[in-house]
Parts: sequence; structure tokens; C-alpha cells
Amino acid sequence: MRASINRPPTPNPDEEPEKELSVQEIINIKLIESGEKEKLMELLRERLIECGWRDEMKALCRAYARKKGRNNVTVDDLVQVITPKGRATVPDSVKAELLQRIRSFLTSVPLEAL
Amino acid sequence: MSQMSALNDGSLSPLSQRASRCFDNLLESIIVDVASECHRIARLGLDRNLEEEEEELRLSAQARVADPGSSGESNSKNVIDIFGQTHPAIASETFDCMNCGRPVTAGRFAPHLEKCMGKGRKARTKVTRSSTIARNRHSRGSPVTVYAPYSNATNSSRVSNGTTRTAGEEYGDFTFEES
Repeated sequence: MRASINRPPTPNPDEEPEKELSVQEIINIKLIESGEKEKLMELLRERLIECGWRDEMKALCRAYARKKGRNNVTVDDLVQVITPKGRATVPDSVKAELLQRIRSFLTSVPLEAL
Repeated sequence: MSQMSALNDGSLSPLSQRASRCFDNLLESIIVDVASECHRIARLGLDRNLEEEEEELRLSAQARVADPGSSGESNSKNVIDIFGQTHPAIASETFDCMNCGRPVTAGRFAPHLEKCMGKGRKARTKVTRSSTIARNRHSRGSPVTVYAPYSNATNSSRVSNGTTRTAGEEYGDFTFEES
């Protein structure tokens, strides 16, 4: 038997315990269906622009591109460059505002799987 | 996501946990947006263009400063151009206006033409003559009417209005060319 015939098992899309992930999926679906996800995105985007977070990230990207050579840059590179700092520098007020809205959405929408 | 345990102080309710995950998802999307845009800017060299523009502005500002010939009217017109020439801020050559025949300074030619040919607001009283001529002309079916059929229509319905006169002044240009 050739090794190629032995397929590796179909990768399990659930990286975590099934139950939790499906709830999250349901939440995501509800968010999208109600249009709330788009509103939240817009809100977050706006806040992050206002506080200069976006400019900071762009500056990081620019510096990285300059160092690495602008034609050698990939989107993945840039995502990796700004993700750690990006997550860390979101202003607390912005985060709190978003979390508050998400929480009230989650409590207002009946989630049967809960 | 290992980040969750960092956020989690152990007593975070499931609701808060889920909210936190939602937030992280949103943030991740936005991060990807930013990265994507910066990638585009980097690959297209757009940030480079911005830099070069800023440099050029700085250079032209230097040229302005370095130019010794500025006679007090130091504005943006007193710059060294690409041929290395400088021009005085206000063009001072004199010639004769082809409309009224008067000698006029180049730098004042445009305002002069306004009054001379009747396009300006202020000199309207002086100019009603030519606009009357123009109106008479195109009431006789002059080809000028073809150019602005709309204005013509309003002309006939609102004779005493200021609109009429402006249109008439515009036609004034055409009538001169015809003659």
C-alpha cells in the first residue's frame, strides 16, 4: 500500500470542544442576520480611527515595508506585524463600549443552544 | 485562542467570555483590513509618492527662500521654475487692449477685460449697451442662440431679471467673434 493511499483523517473544523464552538457560530449567525455585526464593525472602525490607532498600525506597516523592501511584503506579514500591538493598544474605553454593546445584544437575542 | 486565558481572571461569566470573543473577531477583521490596505500602499509605492511630494514641497519652499529677487511681494509666484527663471509676482509688461485700445498692464489685464467686455458684475451699467446689442442680435435669430438654448428660453420669459443680463453678457463674447 502506498503512503498516499492512507489519507490523513479529514481535519476536524472544530478546534475546540464542540459545544462551545457551535454556540459561537450561532452567535455569529445571529449577529450577521440582525445586521448588528456590521454596525459593531462600523462603530469599532470609527473609534479606532478617532483615537489614532489606525494611524499607528499604518505607521508600523510602513516601517516594516521600508525595512523589508516594499515588494517583499505580504498581507500575512503585515497582519503578524500589527496583531500583537494592535490588540494591546486598543483603548480601554473603546473596548468597554464595544463589549457593552455586544453583551446587550447577546442578552437581547434568545440563543436556544444556551 | 490563548489570549482568552489572559483576559480571563477566572470569574468571567460565559456571557462576558462570548462577548470578548466576538470583540476579538471584530478586531481581527479590522486588523486584516488595515494590513490589506497597507500592503496595497506598500506594493503600489503610494507611501513613497507621499514622501516625494513632501520633499518637493520642501524644495520649492527652499527655492522660494533662496530667491533673492523677491521685491516684497513674496508669494508663491516668486519661485524658480524648472528652467531656472524667476518671474515677478505681478506681470508688469504693458500692451494695448484689443477691445478698447487702451494701454494696460499685463497683471491687470483680466480685471480690465471684466470691465471692458462687460463680464464683471460692477461694470454692468456701462455695459448694458453691448448686452442690448447682443440681445437684439439673437432676437433676430442669430446662431448664438444654438449654444445655450436653455438660457435663451429663460431670457424670453424673464426679461427684467438679472439672469437675462448675465446670459446677454456671455453672448456678448460670441457676437464680438462674429463681427
